[in-house]
Amino acid sequence: MVLTLYGNSYSPCAKRVAQVLVEKQVPFKVVIIDFKKGEQKAASFVEKQPFGQVPLLDDDGYFIYESRAIARYIAEKYPDQGTPLIPKDLRARGLFEQALSIELNDFDAYISPPVHEVIFKPFLGLTPDREAFDQMVIQLEAKLDVYEKILSKQKYLAGDELTLADLFHLPYGVLLGPAGSNALDTPKRPNLSRWFKELVARPSWQAVKDEFKSMD
Amino acid sequence: MVLTLYGNPKASCTQRVATVMHEKQVPFKLVTIELSKGEHKAPDYLEKQPFGQIPVLDDDGYLIYETRAISRYIAEKYADQGTPLIPKDLKAKGHFEQAASVEQANYDAYAGKAVVEKVFKPMFGQTPDDAVVERLLTSLEASLDVYEKILSKQKYVAGNEITLVDIFHLPLLSLLPLTGRDVYSTRPNVEKWAKGLIDRPSFQSVKDGVRSTA
Repeated sequence: MVLTLYGNSYSPCAKRVAQVLVEKQVPFKVVIIDFKKGEQKAASFVEKQPFGQVPLLDDDGYFIYESRAIARYIAEKYPDQGTPLIPKDLRARGLFEQALSIELNDFDAYISPPVHEVIFKPFLGLTPDREAFDQMVIQLEAKLDVYEKILSKQKYLAGDELTLADLFHLPYGVLLGPAGSNALDTPKRPNLSRWFKELVARPSWQAVKDEFKSMD
Repeated sequence: MVLTLYGNPKASCTQRVATVMHEKQVPFKLVTIELSKGEHKAPDYLEKQPFGQIPVLDDDGYLIYETRAISRYIAEKYADQGTPLIPKDLKAKGHFEQAASVEQANYDAYAGKAVVEKVFKPMFGQTPDDAVVERLLTSLEASLDVYEKILSKQKYVAGNEITLVDIFHLPLLSLLPLTGRDVYSTRPNVEKWAKGLIDRPSFQSVKDGVRSTA
């Protein structure tokens, strides 16, 4: 049975999973959960995703949620097809786990608030606070300075091979420019810019960035 | 060579890793990094941890940082000793990863910040922002309502066996009452689960301060 992914086109987290499915050459069908209609709060959906969030994966009756968990599950279930995304060696895997934790604690935690402030607040009928945005970007840039140091010594965040940890940066990363900051694309941080640009250019991201759609 | 953990005896993240070391029966030496003296920002420390945070693990020259990464590395390296903490089966592992992601996004994001604001800030002479604490605890309680549902059907967050993810919720589970909000008495399943974790010898060994065991 083809995998079914529940999400929508304005969910960065849904695109995070879609990209990994494409990278691993795994066909999938999508079911749109429309937030404007409150479909994420429907009893049938909450039964499978009790936090009422997207995305959610249905693998022939096995349900799993949280985009990074779904992505790992896919990468672990299909290790031998598409791009290898999880190292096998114990120490390399330790550095992979380190990179995943860095993405969550030192990137996502600092990029989500400014992106939310400018890009998502208007959807909720709220007015962005540009001064708050600027302050949040300053904090993000302090973390990106450390990324620059790391990426000056190695090609990717976990070492010299691409892993899931790199890909996880894309869905929010690509929204920073439209939000009004070039922090990910500035000559001040050439290695960071090189790394991010290359990730954006990957065919798997290009295939999913604009629309959340079935790819089977 | 004995594992060396760079951290601080009373710091939550150091205690989290140390709890896992105890669960896995792995001896370690603690090297204290004095945050009040800015030792975490010293150049030779930044060589080990470029974000200037604690803890860092040194396994015979192999350096790894980020609490949950260190914990996973230990649980994988010493899979066959102490308590099994990571499921092997693909689908069980998927639900383990789901719970791990929930722990960070829907629990720690609120609980961690609330404890820092309300409990730790005063220790450094700063005034908590009560409006911020209120918002964070309200979000946390919404998440704990879901935890209550989940834990009514299974013993631990990833299934019926204890995993690393349950342990990741410590030490915050023991610190939450200090925020002044009672999150437990209306959630019996969460309370039972939390108490069971707090009572584990591994956490009891570290809760008053991490010490070297080697």
